[in-house]
Amino acid sequence: MRRSAIYCGSLLALGLLTAAMPAGAQVPYSPSGSFHVQCPGTTLLHPTAIANTGGSVLRDATSEPDYTGPQALAANGNGVPLTYDYNGGTVKCQEISGGDGYMTEADGNQTFMFSFGPLSGLGLIQNGQPGTLFATDFNHPYAVPTMLNGQPNPYCTASTLNPSGQPCTAAPTSTTDPGANGALTDPAAIMDTGVMNGNIPAPLIAVDEDDEFFLNLTNVGMIMRPDLFEQHTVHWHGYPNASSFYDGVPDASLAINIGGTFTYYYLAPDAGTYFWHCHITPPEHLQMGMVGQLFVRPRQNRVPVGSSLYQSAAGCKAVPGIQGGACPAGDTVGSAYMGQQSDLRTACNPSADILCSVPLPQAPSGGVGMVQGAYATADPLGRYQAGDRFKYVYNDGDGSTRYDIDVPIQIHGFDPNFHFVGMTFNAEPFSDMKDKYFLLNGRSYPDTIGVAGYAGLAANTQTNANCDPGSTAAQCAANDGVPQSQATTQNPNPTTNAISTEDSDGYSRPSQPMPTLIKLYNGTTTTIGTPATCGPLGTSRCGQRASLRIADLDVSEYQTLASLGLPMQLIGFNAKLLRDQAGNNLYQTSNSITLGGGESLDVIIDSTGVPAGTYFLYTPNLDHLSNDAENFGGLMAEVVVLN
Amino acid sequence: MISTNDTRTPINGVRHLLSAAAIGMALMVGSTAQAATPGITGTGAVQTFNLTAGPGVITQPDGMQIYSWGYGCTTPASATFAPFPGSCPLMQVPAPTLIVTEGKPVTVVLTNSLPKGAGNTSILFSGFQVTGGAGCVAGLRVPEALPGGTCTYTFTPTAPGTHSYYSGTQSDLQVEMGLYGAVVVLPANDSVAQCTNTTLHPGAIPLATLGGFNGANDDYRLAASALDHPASCYDREYLFQWAELDPNIHRQAEVQANFIATCTAPVSSGTPAATNPTNLPCPSSLDVLTEPYHPRYFMINGRSMPDNMDANYAPNYPNQPYNANPHMHPGELTLVRAVGTGRWQHPFHEHGNHVRILARDGFPILAQTNATGAACTGAACPLGGRMEFDTDTTPGQTLDGIFYWSGKGLNWDIFGHTPNVASDVVLSLTESGHTVTAATYTPNAVVSSSGPANYATIQGAPSSAYNGYLGTYPITIIPCAAPYTTGNTCFTYTATTTGLPAFTQSTSVGTFAPAVLVKQPTTVVTDSDQNPTCAPDSNGYYTAASPSPGPATRPTYTGTTMSGGNRNYYEWCADHDHPLEANPVGPVAGGGPATLPDPLVMTNGLWYNGTPYLGPDAVNRSRGPTPLPPGGALQNPPAESGIAFMWHSHNEREITTNDVFPGGMLMMMLVDPYVWYIDENL
Repeated sequence: MRRSAIYCGSLLALGLLTAAMPAGAQVPYSPSGSFHVQCPGTTLLHPTAIANTGGSVLRDATSEPDYTGPQALAANGNGVPLTYDYNGGTVKCQEISGGDGYMTEADGNQTFMFSFGPLSGLGLIQNGQPGTLFATDFNHPYAVPTMLNGQPNPYCTASTLNPSGQPCTAAPTSTTDPGANGALTDPAAIMDTGVMNGNIPAPLIAVDEDDEFFLNLTNVGMIMRPDLFEQHTVHWHGYPNASSFYDGVPDASLAINIGGTFTYYYLAPDAGTYFWHCHITPPEHLQMGMVGQLFVRPRQNRVPVGSSLYQSAAGCKAVPGIQGGACPAGDTVGSAYMGQQSDLRTACNPSADILCSVPLPQAPSGGVGMVQGAYATADPLGRYQAGDRFKYVYNDGDGSTRYDIDVPIQIHGFDPNFHFVGMTFNAEPFSDMKDKYFLLNGRSYPDTIGVAGYAGLAANTQTNANCDPGSTAAQCAANDGVPQSQATTQNPNPTTNAISTEDSDGYSRPSQPMPTLIKLYNGTTTTIGTPATCGPLGTSRCGQRASLRIADLDVSEYQTLASLGLPMQLIGFNAKLLRDQAGNNLYQTSNSITLGGGESLDVIIDSTGVPAGTYFLYTPNLDHLSNDAENFGGLMAEVVVLN
Repeated sequence: MISTNDTRTPINGVRHLLSAAAIGMALMVGSTAQAATPGITGTGAVQTFNLTAGPGVITQPDGMQIYSWGYGCTTPASATFAPFPGSCPLMQVPAPTLIVTEGKPVTVVLTNSLPKGAGNTSILFSGFQVTGGAGCVAGLRVPEALPGGTCTYTFTPTAPGTHSYYSGTQSDLQVEMGLYGAVVVLPANDSVAQCTNTTLHPGAIPLATLGGFNGANDDYRLAASALDHPASCYDREYLFQWAELDPNIHRQAEVQANFIATCTAPVSSGTPAATNPTNLPCPSSLDVLTEPYHPRYFMINGRSMPDNMDANYAPNYPNQPYNANPHMHPGELTLVRAVGTGRWQHPFHEHGNHVRILARDGFPILAQTNATGAACTGAACPLGGRMEFDTDTTPGQTLDGIFYWSGKGLNWDIFGHTPNVASDVVLSLTESGHTVTAATYTPNAVVSSSGPANYATIQGAPSSAYNGYLGTYPITIIPCAAPYTTGNTCFTYTATTTGLPAFTQSTSVGTFAPAVLVKQPTTVVTDSDQNPTCAPDSNGYYTAASPSPGPATRPTYTGTTMSGGNRNYYEWCADHDHPLEANPVGPVAGGGPATLPDPLVMTNGLWYNGTPYLGPDAVNRSRGPTPLPPGGALQNPPAESGIAFMWHSHNEREITTNDVFPGGMLMMMLVDPYVWYIDENL
């Protein structure tokens, strides 16, 4: 038999696919059977769990230990003394389903998908936020009374308080409540929630460098395609020095059958913008929608306020062959300044490693350079709070990738003919694939900016500009004139901004949670808490900076995204900082970027000095500015600059 | 499933559609074939190549045999090959890879043997200063060879690296038909001498073995460096030429060429000849429509997956000699030479790690300063190329890049190493608190492993049969007897064992479940690979640069058998001995973060070695007594037990062959353990 016939896929030699391993005398595998969700509270590398003291699952780097350089950590691995290099981070977990679902195109067409959906972090995902949770939050019981298919939550009956301490007749009061986000680990709960719960993009993942990340994928089957028994996997696209086992290529590892859970284990790698997707029959499963976004935040975010970013990166520990500047006075091994160059895993020495990630920048005058800061005041839209540390896209060591607002953007294209065929029983025509819908975060314009499309529900009268991901329900309700009770029936939901789609079982589920509407204050009149060097109001100001984490998952064409009137500074490409091995930044400023399928890059849009107004992100591939037959829409979104 | 939407009619008695059954029976040559950058070298002080452009047939995995044009060797018998012997037919796709040296003049004599009506043809050597000589006629961009004629091109390559060449005449048809190839320019500077940086390159294949173009020991390089730059040194190299193919264009060309070749002049009366049934004037030239363009085949080095993973020069692809089947050991710097051909861009996604771009079109991409900010020139400048996980291939453009895989930073030992343990478990139980309320309870501070009869009894102690393995084995602790049965927790036992973690078991009487205990071997396991030395060098790897108790020795081979050196050469030492799995398997300790999934709800891949680990010894250790993978992974046999990564176009529709997945622009890259000899000669 030729090799081609033994691949996984819907089209070929299905009878050969299920060569399962026999169970041995020992039981090294999951003893609890097929649905086995893993999220250990502690590990050898992270022996201490981080409790949730604030009540919200939105915990950023400030919830984690400061990064003060590597520490040797003694551990006992089953009686074996081991040493780990500890750089902070913690255990984080996420759970997703692989199955099917429907989404709503901007022209109202309901489109069938093979898709991933959230099985943890449901509250966050509906808000367009990463569904990645600290272990303590992941392991918190899910306390929303009703599952997405209308079934009651078996762990939350009317006579009990839910784990959030509320009566189970009411849902948790906030989408950031642990009870609205805890993982579903019971088979019934998994199926009640995961079936038909496909999202586009797939659930957003965000971890911090040095985290251990447990990603649980459960294959819940595809209700609309009972003839298929498709496996699914997760490919973390771009993971450096990946293991084959957790790379998600079914030919080189395991694929998850219907009814099974696979727990992918990763040590969060170098900071950057990655993405993920199913790797089963990629031209089919990617086109059908199994594509998600993923980014890793740098440990530079966790440097204590006041620390030199350069010294945090450069370090002073004597390591043979490691590049590093002279130690500043008082900086000794073990001090807070001891940095990434002290640990060979996090160090970069271009003269010794041709693939090291982020070379040190050229040493700043005086050896200190930029220092870590924190916001003096909260973002007017609630996207960061006073006291939050500044964030960076990479461990730049010079502060040049600082930004205020994360904007994940996924470029994709749907071929409605392929999706229709994919809902039926025909073989798909791969070489005839022709995308007709061009999607930013699973939506075409005008749905990209959260305006109601033709979703079949009540028209959204909301005009409030404050209904962003991250703004509270009160902020939305206060300004759009629509009581929140009514607002929840609107599509998109003005609280979460998620577009819902009615599925074939009659239940409407959030299918497209992420608008692409970027709001930036240019700092002219509104206090936004940027660095002190930016000066007070009325002087030379810094505006807010958006980090556009752009990935293209289109399976058939290259795509260009242009900005009308706003410069785009390209700072990273394929999850790596643009910096030569001499330490010079190679950033490029332009009005457009181009990506092929399977590529990602980082762009910063800086609103400094930009007049207030609405600007557009759009594709100059002009035939992509359409929604199938509508000669309008497509790959376009808006950037709103506010004074 | 074989697509039936191509209704091509057999043109003559030679070619025909293969049935699905015939495809299933197709030969597969060398299940573990590997690659390198095979090509031909010029003869003489002036590097001379005699090439012919002519028609032929290439095959695709769906059984299609596709009429194509290609460059081949005018005198196949006199071709010289590197790095190992091969064949150079009269026509091949892609064209013979021309291996030349920087600064030495090159002469290419092209003979136009394209079919009647195809007109002139030519070679466009992208990026070279080419002079046309004997026999050439002027063309729009480059000198051309008349039908049946020759044209001699001369140039002196000045830029080391990978370059492309293709037809410069009616390119929309002729390149589509297959007239494209690559030129590899080796650096003029002594590439061996500049590759002495053992810090940058401790995994180097020993330089002493370089140079015969003959695969001495395990060296299959054409040179030691890609460019005149010390950061371009490498251990292995692979050339990938990316091109799509529209069978309709080839079909038109074949029909028309056949007709022109056989057409007889119209007759004024009587019955037209069968070779010209229309009785119209015979056409003198092809008129092939190259639009609309609708490619259905997506090839790397002229072959679609899985054909591209068969051997170089495999006899079942007589006109497609080059494969795409990269293998490498951990840490080996692998030079990726990629050439875009045809019309479309292809995002070439390399699973496993990033690629550092060294050069595009042979131009090195360098920093403008050195690391201290001072201006620099040439080889003194650090690299400036991007690191990419998708290296775009653009028609006519080439790239040289460096890839390696080392497993750094996984937080678990991919070799499944586990320290040997010499002593058996010594178990003692300490009763540490109870909530029994019955009055008759008498504390007993310490119970022995046999247990006091009236409090607890340990049964089912591990059998000596398990010696040599860490494992989970049931023991049963029979708790306190009836006087203490109050329904409360009876005892909490803490087991203190030699070198084992604390073991806690609490229970109520009557519901006591079997406990689990880790049993350690009573004898040292003799598998020397279970816990070898790992001493980090300045990069953190176990290499020839490692300090005491290093250095490590890079393995050497006698024939194809490893005959010396360290099997865990280039191991990332920070993860040495770190367990992956929560539960121990065989002699591989548990305690790690992950529990592997229930194998009954998983499907094994064809390249999956059955475990997360790398190398046959690790696979043997970690699978314990369970025979995995079932039947063996044909493409990754137990003796190899590598780990596989897919390298493919991420315009995913291009990993299909005429609408069938898998196929097209797809290959599997294997990282092999050092114990596995990578024979690229296969």
